[in-house]
Parts: sequence; C-alpha cells; structure tokens
Amino acid sequence: MSVVQYVEGNSLLHRLDPRAKIIMLTILTIIIFIVENFLMIGAILLTILLLWWSARLPMKTLASYFKFLTGLFVFIIVIQGLFYSGEVILVQPLIPRWVPLIGGLGKISLDGALFGILISARIICLICLLPLVTMTTPIHFFALGLTKMGLSYQIAYTMTTALNTIPVLQNEASVVMDAQKLRAFRVFEEGSFVQKLKAYPALAVPLVIGAMRRAQLMGVAMDSRAFGALKRRTYVEDIIMKPQDYAVLAVFAVYCAAVLVGNFML
Amino acid sequence: MSEPVSGKPTKGEPMIKVENLWYKYPRTKKYVLEDISFTVEKGEFVALMGANGAGKTTLCQCLNGVIPNSQGGKVKGRVVVGGLDTQETPISKLAQKVGMVLEDPETQLFTTKVKNEVAFGPENLAIDPDEIMKRIAWALKVVRLEGYEERPPTALSGGQKQRLAIAAALAMKPEIMVLDEPTSQLDPIGTLEVFSVIQDLKEEYGMTIVMATHKSEEIAQFADKVLMLHEGRLVKFAPPREVFQDLELMKLTWTHLPQISELILFLRNNGISLKDFAILKDEGVAMVKEALAGKAGRVAS
Ligand SMILES: Nc1ncnc2c1ncn2[C@@H]1O[C@H](COP(=O)(O)OP(=O)(O)O)[C@@H](O)[C@H]1O
Ligand SMILES: [Mg+2]
Repeated sequence: MSVVQYVEGNSLLHRLDPRAKIIMLTILTIIIFIVENFLMIGAILLTILLLWWSARLPMKTLASYFKFLTGLFVFIIVIQGLFYSGEVILVQPLIPRWVPLIGGLGKISLDGALFGILISARIICLICLLPLVTMTTPIHFFALGLTKMGLSYQIAYTMTTALNTIPVLQNEASVVMDAQKLRAFRVFEEGSFVQKLKAYPALAVPLVIGAMRRAQLMGVAMDSRAFGALKRRTYVEDIIMKPQDYAVLAVFAVYCAAVLVGNFML
Repeated sequence: MSEPVSGKPTKGEPMIKVENLWYKYPRTKKYVLEDISFTVEKGEFVALMGANGAGKTTLCQCLNGVIPNSQGGKVKGRVVVGGLDTQETPISKLAQKVGMVLEDPETQLFTTKVKNEVAFGPENLAIDPDEIMKRIAWALKVVRLEGYEERPPTALSGGQKQRLAIAAALAMKPEIMVLDEPTSQLDPIGTLEVFSVIQDLKEEYGMTIVMATHKSEEIAQFADKVLMLHEGRLVKFAPPREVFQDLELMKLTWTHLPQISELILFLRNNGISLKDFAILKDEGVAMVKEALAGKAGRVAS
C-alpha cells in the first residue's frame, strides 16, 4: 500500500505544475475539515474518485485504502454513537436506565453515528486526496515546486529524500524478517498479538540502526557534491506555470465556492 | 553563478600535499589518523590499502574536505589539494577540485533520473543549466553511460551505478578523483568496468586518482604507488612492486597479494628458483615458463 510512488502517465493531473497541485491540495484539505454537509462531503469524495480514475491511478490501491480503513470507520462510528448525546436513539441502552451509576450506558445515538460517518468521510477524502498529487508528480518536481513556493531547497530535499527512503526501509524490513525466519523466528506469522508486539523491537532496532547509517553516508555523499553550499542553486529541469495551470486553478476556485455555498446554504 | 576556483598549485607543487595530519572523530578518544605525511603528483594513481578500520575512509574524507568541514572532529596538520587548504576552503570550492565516489552505490545516488543525478553537483554550484547539460553529456560519455539519461538510477547494475557516481563527480570538473572502495560491492564484471573508466580518467584526462581498495591485481596493473595504512599510521608509500615484496608488511596488514605473486612465492618455497618477483600476470607467466624450461633442460641433459 504505497502513497508516494510516482505512477507514470500523461493525464491532466500529471501535466499540471506541481505548484498548482500543491495549492489545490492545501485548499481542498482545509475545505474537507470545514464542510459538514453530507451531500457536499459526498460530492468531494466523488470528485476525488473521478480524478483518481481520470489520472489512471491504480484502482487496486484505492480499494486497498477502503479495505484497510473499514475497521477504523466502524470503530469511530460506534464510539461517536456511544459518547455523543442525541435525541434519536438507534440502539437502545444495553444497561437499563434504573441501574445506579452505569444505567443508560450502551445506547447509540443517531447524531453521534452521523458525526462518526462525517469524520470517516473526511478521513477517506484526505487519504485518497494526497496520492492524487504524490502519484502524479515525480518527487524532484514536488521538491522543486515547494522550493519555488518559498521553502528552502535544503528542507525540500530532506523531505523528499525521507519519502524516497520509505520503499528502501520496507525492503530492509523484509530482509530483516527473512533473516529472522531463517533462524526459526516465526512470531510475525504465527504469534499472538502480544507476542508480535514484543517482537517489534527485534525488527525495529536493525532498521533504525540501518537508517541512521544510511543517513550518515548520504550526508557525506551530498556534502561531497556541494549540497547546500550556496543559498541559491540552478535546475536543469525547471517548472513554469502555463496558461493551462491558471485555467485549472480558476475552475478549482469556482468549484470551492460552490462547495462552500452548498455547505452553508443546504 | 559559481565563482571560478582560484587555487592553483604553483609550479612544481604536488597536486595533493598532506603534512603531519592527525585526526580524531568528534566522539572518539583515540586519533584515527596519526601523523600522516605524503604528496601525490599530478596524474598519479595512488592506491590506499590497509585492513578494515585502518583509516582509509577517514583519509579519503580528509582529502575532499568533508573532514573537517562537515564532519567536525579534531584536526592537526595540513591537507592541501590543488593549492587549496581544506581547512580554509569551503566545500563548494573543494568539490570543484576533488570528486568523491563512495563505497555503497545506493546511498550516494539520491535522485530519480540519471540525468538529474549528474546535474545534482553542478546545480548546487548554481552553474548555468545550458552548461550543465553539456557537462552531463560529456560525463556520461566518459563513463560510457550515454543514452541512460532518463533511466532511474535504481534500475542500473552495480557497476553502472558506480560509473554514474563517477560521472556525477566528474560533472563538477574536478582535477582529483578520490574513490573509497568503489568496487568492493561489485562482481568481477562491474569491477572491470569501473577500473577501465578510471584508467581513462588517468590516461586521457590526466586526472590525479586516489583510490582505497583491496584489489591487488588491479593495483598491480594500474596504480603508480601504494599508500599502506596500519592502525591509522602510514607504514609504506611506494610503487606496488616494492610494497608487494615486503612480505612482513603484507602479513601485518592482512593484505592479499596478486595471485601471480602468490604462485611465485609458492614455487620459490618449493625449491623452484626464480630470478625475480612478479606482480603482473604476463611477466609472472613468462618468468615461470623460463624457469620451468631451464629446469626441464637441466633434467634432460
Ligand atoms: N563516523 C565515525 N565516528 C567515530 N569513529 C569512526 C567513524 N568512522 C570511522 N570511525 C573509526 O575510525 C577508524 C577508521 O575507520 P575507517 O576510516 O572507516 O577505516 P577503513 O575505511 O580503512 O575501514 C575505525 O576505528 C572506525 O571505528
Ligand atoms: Mg572504509
């Protein structure tokens, strides 16, 4: 389940300037937190899914997000239902009201459940939104976009290198686990939850040490190539905002206005 | 724009001059390099040898100024490369004098395309993009990776990755190339590829080369001198032939001799008299043939 891997393509999203994408990502993220109207949050989710489809991003990954998060959503909805007081009760109390102190516990309110659904919808929107940018933007353009928007290139590069390191770490984790398996360490396949929890340090320690060593070596390599030596640097592959980018931003502005109006009017 | 690098070794000055160099890492008690002095002339190929932990990597990083400019620690003595004192010169200028290639192919490549990898150094020096494009074409040609511009570095073989690392260093137009065990993780083919590129750098471009390596065969064939480190001290600095004949030193530093030298020693120890020592395959084979022919002659008569 990867969020950051670039997916080759030539869709509108792929061709947009990273800055335009970063702006839209930021604004839409804020809007997702503002919107409380179910119709509108539904519309946003639908938009995201349509964009996902139009950019030909892997539907399998999308499905895996939903599958991965279902349990969390059920949990959120139930918890909100239990602790959010409301008029309409969906599930009657498990413990009768006349029991002292704990009487009335265990009821699920409609308002609470609805609030839980809203939170779940926000989470799924956010999770499906981020890859629309990261999967359609090569990582060096993403960093360049951030730099041109005012972030120092040292920080932009550090961020992107960290992202780049995720697949490497995943790879290393599987190497460590294989090495453990060779020594008949099978907790990660057969162990109980508690056993697995206890076994994580055995996995994490070599990973952390490996990551620190790697960071140190990479630091030496970057220093040797004058990284950060000057305030400004040049780029052989530059990015320029095209009319197309401004057009898309204009359409996006109208879209946001419509969503906000819909949210406060309906 | 990058400023031109002003430092030039004055006439007759060596390309690299190390004087009484002592170095201690920030958190270690003991000095890792102790009183090292040597000089390297322009166009020379010096092989750095010594057991693991002898200080090869540390010395390499002293030569391009990563030590002490970004690693810190305590330095005594002086390192002058191409006329620039590493303790007084910023890394941006040193990078245009000394290119560096590291042991691990993975951690020294960090961009998504071969082209960007080569551009990375010159971009940091704020060199004009048109000039960088020229340098990319040139550097990839030198290391024989033309046509790979758009490939991701992760998709290259080990030998190709190390050649890319060389190209990335070359793009900053250094006069000295320092390589820290660049072939230790490569198979024989990858090793050969890298050595043949390095030979070109020396022969065709007159570059000065310092390379930490354990590969005695290649050292015998290509290096002008061997600098032998032992527990942070310089214990020998001489042509490979002289170094490989010092059997006590070989034992002390756990150095493998070239196979042909091993064979010659073996024959000697088994009563076949050879008039000389050999470190190259051809000379050794000729010598052994001659000795055996002589022996056969004696037996026949
Ligand atoms: N970053 C570091 N911090 C502290 N000590 C180090 C560091 N790197 C190397 N050393 C120590 O310095 C000595 C020389 O190491 P190194 O130069 O890597 O040797 P070589 O490359 O010949 O194997 C070793 O004892 C090693 O433990
Ligand atoms: Mg080393």
